[in-house]
Amino acid sequence: MSVVKLKDNKPEPVAYSDAALRNNAVVVEYCRTSMAALSGSTAGVLGLTGLNGFAFYVFSVVVLWVMFMIKAGPNWHKYYVSRQSLLTSGFFGALFTYVLFWTFIYGMVHVY
Amino acid sequence: MAELLLDPNIRLWVFLPIVIITFLVGIVRHYVSIILSSQKKIELLQVQDSQVMIRARLLRENGKYLPRQSFAMRRHWFNNEETGYFKVQKRAATSQNPMTDPGMMTDMLKGNVTNVLPMIVIGGWINWMFSGFLTTKVPFPLTLRFKPMLQRGVELAYLDASWVSSASWYFLNVFGLRTIYALVLGENNAADQSKIMQEQMSGAAMAMPPDPKAAFKAEWEALEITEHKWALATIETDLLASFVEKEKTH
Repeated sequence: MSVVKLKDNKPEPVAYSDAALRNNAVVVEYCRTSMAALSGSTAGVLGLTGLNGFAFYVFSVVVLWVMFMIKAGPNWHKYYVSRQSLLTSGFFGALFTYVLFWTFIYGMVHVY
Repeated sequence: MAELLLDPNIRLWVFLPIVIITFLVGIVRHYVSIILSSQKKIELLQVQDSQVMIRARLLRENGKYLPRQSFAMRRHWFNNEETGYFKVQKRAATSQNPMTDPGMMTDMLKGNVTNVLPMIVIGGWINWMFSGFLTTKVPFPLTLRFKPMLQRGVELAYLDASWVSSASWYFLNVFGLRTIYALVLGENNAADQSKIMQEQMSGAAMAMPPDPKAAFKAEWEALEITEHKWALATIETDLLASFVEKEKTH
């Protein structure tokens, strides 16, 4: 009896597949790098400078996150442990790629 | 700050080549490191040791689900004074000095050859070939602190800090293109990652105790002081009680 009650009180422990989680993380990282490169090129072509460019980066990160959420649908927790970490993880790593592409395309188009 | 006018030829013959050279050198380096990489050899004896350690640990942790006699039998196999596995096996204490291990030395050398050498050679070549150009301008304002970082090779005191010299543009590329390699070399990298994953799956068995002698002694001690407490002693009454409980609720 006590055993049954204990089971009811505890929240059901959730088991995650380690390999699947890691695969998801790799795919997300892949998307993030692509997004940083594409949005960096876009910012360069548009000729954004200063804070506008960084605001554009934040905007594209949020857009990517919304796209993930739409893709995952209402049962996103089957694929990711937390939504917040999906939004924030790798923010600065991708920022470096973004700045590089931004600088590159901006230099190609607008400097000369 | 007056705008500078750069010759468009600089774009075609300096700015773009540096990006392309950096990118291609990175790809070549990737494949060279694949050629040079060597499979780590695992000795049979070490695998055996680590598996024995895992078995002993499992017995220690889950032995309570075994009847007393079965538990004692298994512990006897490990711990008996004359014939126990931990007593019989004599392992020489291995010295852990990487400098004496030639395999480790070659690994380190290969790491240097594939990582540091191209950096120095290509960096030096770029410095010599494309020295003294201002290539581009970062599209955001920077403070004067960034001047030595971004204007290596161009010592102009009154130049705005957001202009980038050719040597610095090379270094920006070296560091910024790392994530792009993961993207471009995706399939190879994915294969590598799955390989790593496999290692991690069997990793518990592969992780060898650095010094088997000491590990054996520790495990022997831990097993010796383990007290067998049968977890299933009252299983019949528990089961019956749960059935009764179910009947009541229905």
